[in-house]
Amino acid sequence: MSFAVEVLDVVKVFGDVRALDSLSFSVKQGEIFGLIGPNGAGKTTALRVVSTLLLPTSGTVKIFGLDVVQEAAKVRKIISYLPEEAGAYRNLSGWEYLEFMARFNTKNRNETREMANEAAEITGLGERLKDKTKVYSKGMKRRLLVARALMNKPKLAILDEPTSGLDVLHAYHVREIIKRYVEEHGVTVLLSSHNMLEVEHLCDRVALLNKGKIVAEGKPQELKEKFGSTNLEEVFAKVVGLA
Amino acid sequence: MLKGFGNFLLKELKELIRDPKILLGMIVLPLIMFPVIGGIMTYSIQSAQEKAQKTPLLVLNNDGGKWSENFTNFLKPWMNVSVVNNTTPEEAVAQGLLSKYNTTQFIEIPSGFSANLTEHEEGNLNITATVNLYGVFSGGGLLESVGSTVIDNLIYSFNREKAPDLVNSVKSSIIKGNIAEHVDPSTLSGLMLSQAIALPITIMILLTYSMQIAATSVAMEKEEKTLETLLTLPMDRLAILMGKLSSSILVAGIGALAYMIGYNYMLGSITTGISTGTSIDLASLGLVPSLFGYLLLGISLFVTLLSALALAVIISAFSEDVRGAQSLIGYIYPLIFIPSFALMYLDVNTLPLALRIVFYAIPYSHPILASKAVIMGDYWTAILGIIYVTAFTIVVMYAASRLFATEKILTAKLKFRWLRKRSKKPAAELQ
Repeated sequence: MSFAVEVLDVVKVFGDVRALDSLSFSVKQGEIFGLIGPNGAGKTTALRVVSTLLLPTSGTVKIFGLDVVQEAAKVRKIISYLPEEAGAYRNLSGWEYLEFMARFNTKNRNETREMANEAAEITGLGERLKDKTKVYSKGMKRRLLVARALMNKPKLAILDEPTSGLDVLHAYHVREIIKRYVEEHGVTVLLSSHNMLEVEHLCDRVALLNKGKIVAEGKPQELKEKFGSTNLEEVFAKVVGLA
Repeated sequence: MLKGFGNFLLKELKELIRDPKILLGMIVLPLIMFPVIGGIMTYSIQSAQEKAQKTPLLVLNNDGGKWSENFTNFLKPWMNVSVVNNTTPEEAVAQGLLSKYNTTQFIEIPSGFSANLTEHEEGNLNITATVNLYGVFSGGGLLESVGSTVIDNLIYSFNREKAPDLVNSVKSSIIKGNIAEHVDPSTLSGLMLSQAIALPITIMILLTYSMQIAATSVAMEKEEKTLETLLTLPMDRLAILMGKLSSSILVAGIGALAYMIGYNYMLGSITTGISTGTSIDLASLGLVPSLFGYLLLGISLFVTLLSALALAVIISAFSEDVRGAQSLIGYIYPLIFIPSFALMYLDVNTLPLALRIVFYAIPYSHPILASKAVIMGDYWTAILGIIYVTAFTIVVMYAASRLFATEKILTAKLKFRWLRKRSKKPAAELQ
């Protein structure tokens, strides 16, 4: 079977810190795969390596068969990355921002417009898209950025804490959009979250990360049964020996 | 009273002063920079005076009388005097006597000098004598007039010894091998200086503004967390760098143009007032750049601007936010301010060799050096400067492009470990 993402024995060292320690996992095509774990577990570092931002100290990462180190430019054409604390350009309106980002994917004006229109619909911001992003609330900004990450229907969407900073309703809205894109457009999603309950409802499979290593991996239901837990939070606590 | 003001002010001060970047950039650097500028100027003036006294002085004796011999003998203990008889100033310049005697100035004792002084000596006090001073004008600077000042002082001493106002001097300039009669080199320097100040100030402001814009632009991407997204987009990373540099150049260029127009208007209104008292026309003396000169100046300015911007981009990559980037950029300012201020007043050719090397090594000196050189028709100084700054720019641009091509653009941080170590000591002792 061909995998959308193959991470093999990846190590990432920053000075004295071993952020990723022989990390290995794979994501199937059309799957929503969640990396979950507490702050500092290495989720963001793993996603940054997959999205070509950081080079692995050792190990290999392939996206649809393309090596993220050797073929980074090709990888960037098929992925879309949403950083955890991403911002938008303060002096551009929401609409201008979407058009600016769409132009990196197509040179055709009509396609740019279509892409931006689709993103505008995802955001649900309506007329507020005409305002500069500096006046947006955190929730509005996040919706804009999620829309940006999905509007070009990438083969792989890498979403770092996609619902970070959103209230319950907006978080629900974003999760529904992600699910819809996977179903309708066959987008593969690799996401991270420290909200294990949220991930349980969204992801097909999850990997529990602790200190740069995967400590458990599987479907949420399988993991709960295996560890005799009612939710992933309990699974994690048992795996790392807290419960 | 403002409630909570004192407490808040204390917090602000602690935060600002404890930031090593601000401490170095805002406090330590100015404390070093201005004394350095002052030191350079004092040293340069002293060495120029010493040099002027050691420089050979050519005396064209067209009088041949006892007073001309008397006057020449008076000069000899103070200066390295060489005497040539019966040669007009025009002949001296044409025959290349200046380079033969390795000097930049000469005095002509005209015929009738001794006759006039003899008449004065015999009681006709209204009759005095005149010597003609000729100096090579080499492009302006505070030290341009040091040589003629030394001779002025010697004539003053001669008069004090003999009789008040016995000998007067008439000064003329030698510009690009031609004699401009009655154009005092020091007056010319003064006039050129007022014009030469505009460009270094404009260059200084253009460079600092553009560096701020470029640094802020990169730092904003980091601060607003947009850089990560940008780096994962299907675009050439060099395009990010070039986009930042180009937009900074455009914005800075427009700003500089507005500044230059305003500044020239101000300067024009001042020099218009001055020009009523002088008949010196710089254009007729050939002291304005040619079209080729302007072209060289433009290229010099452009490559320097590009190198400054690329450097600003690299430096700002080591900061995490706008404040950090602006503080880091502050470290470059002395390299812009020192040559700008110093070269407004000094002629680089009159400086000691070590200082000359330092000024030539600083890339930001070159547009200012070029501005003076092209006026004097010395295009090679401008061309070599352009080659040097271009080479420097290529190195910096390569470093910047490498930085953008790797993860360093995200992970690079400038650490002030020596400052941190010092501040951590008390805590370590407590443990």
